[in-house]
Amino acid sequence: MTANQAKTSLLYWAGVALGPLAWAANLQGVYAIIHLACEKARWSGIALSILLVLTSLAGTVISGYATRRHAGTEWTDIAGGGPRTFMAWLGVGTGVLFALVIADQLLAALMISPCLR
Amino acid sequence: MSMAAEQRDVRDDALHGLQLAARLESIWRTPPGLTGALMSVDHKVIGRRYIVTAFTFLVLGGLLAILMRIQLSGAENRLLSPDLYNQVFTMHGSTMMFLFAVPVMEAFAVYLVPLMVGTRNIAFPRLNAFSYWMFLFGGCFLWISFLFNVGPDVGWFAYTPLSSLQFNPSKRADVWAQMITFTEVAALAVAVEIIVTVFKQRAPGMTLDRIPLFVWSMLVTAFLVMFAMPSIMVASTTLILDRLVSTRFYDPSSGGNVLLWQHLFWFFGHPEVYIIFIPATGMVSMILATFARRPVIGYPVIVLSLIATGFLSFGLWVHHMFVTGLPHLAAGLFTASSMLIAVPSGLQIFCWIATLWDGRPVYRTPLLFVLGFIVIFVIGGLSGVMVASVPIDTQVHDTYFVVAHFHYVLIGGAVFPLVGAVYYWFPKICGRMLSERLGRWNFWLAFFGFNIAFFPMHILGLMGMPRRVYTYTLEMGWERLNLLSSVGAVMFALSFAVLLANAIYSLRKGTPANDNPWDASTLEWATASPPPPQNFDRIPIVTHREPLWADGDTLPVVAGLSAERREVLLTSLAEAEPQIREASPEPSIWPLLTAIATTIFFIGSIFTPWAVLWGTPPMAITLIGWFWPTGSKEDEE
Repeated sequence: MTANQAKTSLLYWAGVALGPLAWAANLQGVYAIIHLACEKARWSGIALSILLVLTSLAGTVISGYATRRHAGTEWTDIAGGGPRTFMAWLGVGTGVLFALVIADQLLAALMISPCLR
Repeated sequence: MSMAAEQRDVRDDALHGLQLAARLESIWRTPPGLTGALMSVDHKVIGRRYIVTAFTFLVLGGLLAILMRIQLSGAENRLLSPDLYNQVFTMHGSTMMFLFAVPVMEAFAVYLVPLMVGTRNIAFPRLNAFSYWMFLFGGCFLWISFLFNVGPDVGWFAYTPLSSLQFNPSKRADVWAQMITFTEVAALAVAVEIIVTVFKQRAPGMTLDRIPLFVWSMLVTAFLVMFAMPSIMVASTTLILDRLVSTRFYDPSSGGNVLLWQHLFWFFGHPEVYIIFIPATGMVSMILATFARRPVIGYPVIVLSLIATGFLSFGLWVHHMFVTGLPHLAAGLFTASSMLIAVPSGLQIFCWIATLWDGRPVYRTPLLFVLGFIVIFVIGGLSGVMVASVPIDTQVHDTYFVVAHFHYVLIGGAVFPLVGAVYYWFPKICGRMLSERLGRWNFWLAFFGFNIAFFPMHILGLMGMPRRVYTYTLEMGWERLNLLSSVGAVMFALSFAVLLANAIYSLRKGTPANDNPWDASTLEWATASPPPPQNFDRIPIVTHREPLWADGDTLPVVAGLSAERREVLLTSLAEAEPQIREASPEPSIWPLLTAIATTIFFIGSIFTPWAVLWGTPPMAITLIGWFWPTGSKEDEE
């Protein structure tokens, strides 16, 4: 695999990687800054979640771009045989799904005071 | 490879038909006799042992469940003392989770994954043998301790401070903690083997989007095992250290934290549920495709769901800790994750229903169990969404509602597909068909027995009956529902007796199975039933996601592997393009000896810290023996 191919193949995996990473960062990040959010920066958790929803969706966009530009026309449906396009489509779906999960957690952050125990 | 070795290297393209089969069989077979059996590194032999051992533990754990149901069938029963009851429910939970559910899924993977990906043995076959012995010794250690009244009595999650030395001065909690170490070592070993086998030993042409869904599910599961198990191993080891050498990890008076135990345990414990459930979904996808007579609809969606479920499973653990006084926002975050994990599970269920809808279903026993799974798992999933909500969870926490929920999820979500899988793959593993008539009895007994046993527990929980009570008074009004539940439990147990009877009868008198009795589409059905030691005379080439349906009797093959030594073909990760030929290890006694040395080390170290000192040299010696070059063909470059 050439360096260019390796770089390109990263695009296919972007959504698969970015979505879960963004969600994990949101879960742990908002959890970790609850005390800070309560005492000083009430909107910090919300801002973090919005940023990470966008990060997850960025994974979707990058993988979607890869399916159009780089993955070729190897989407051969039931027979399989197009692993790059396959992974890119997985990236598109994963990015959306995890953006949904982060958005759901954002709703929790909007509704529940970080000071409430 | 040296020139001399090159000259005598006969490849399989030089041989044909019976001559090739006989040559490969002589190379790959397990040596005869007891010594040969102890040395075996054949994934099929080890897989069968794993399956039989895990089902033996299922029977033992099931007998404990029946004991508990007899005890609870009436108010103020005195069959079991409170102390024994504590041991019984702990042994039941620990046996089912650590000695049955996880190992049996890995056992099927050990047997099936190499066949499904078209290779001749699993990666690291000696590690595979070692993992089986560790699992066996760990299970025996737990059960022998129980027979000597040293069975753990701290629940399957052994919360501190209950499991600390102060409240549990005997060796019971140590036995539990060290059993964890045994089984986790075994599970981690299998996970490594599965990942490497799937990534590097797939048949040429089996690109990422042609991998059978069961293999995908096991790949995701293996990653879950790799990331979840270290957490519990750290927890159990630190617990032993607290108890043995007076460290203070869980002692708040010295700066420790009891809640740390819950975090470490559930960071493993919740993914554990998916470690059990995800392989079952793989089994469901395989069975559905075969009996619906069409490929599963939404292959990419199912793979996406498996991966997403795998990730999300690591973000739910705090929902087991909603009543520990965490900030509400933190609980809210985990509620969100817990509810949203229903999305990938729902996607899979819609794909399966669509497959049935669009197919031409043949309602044989494996499919019946899959249909039972869908019904029961959906009910369990709905009660799961309920307990993901903090207010509801706070009300029903530690009641029988939760017991009902997790049995619906675990038995419905894993055991029903598993029994379906037994009916489905029994012909491949044993060469004979299971009785369809007994299979239907088995299914209906299991379906009604299960629901009669566990549905009333929802109501009992809402009535306030707590978990882990050894009895209750008549005035509580729980007696009738408990009796009904116990009747259901006996019916459910009978269904397993029918399964056992069916297996024993069919092994002797069942209809002989041909290579592909269900007309299935994946590679394990492309070889004999049961498969020969070498799995395939020639490695198949995969040109389609459903190779046997696409290529039928004319499956293309590759040639060129050695017919002189054990050898497997390594391929690239994404495209499965052939890369190199790799020697595969021969039978060896060292994995067994290493497991024995490790067992002595592990058991000794719950009694004295000096075991670390005197237990290490035997392990080192056996490992040196394991890896010492023998001059055999497997050592040739």
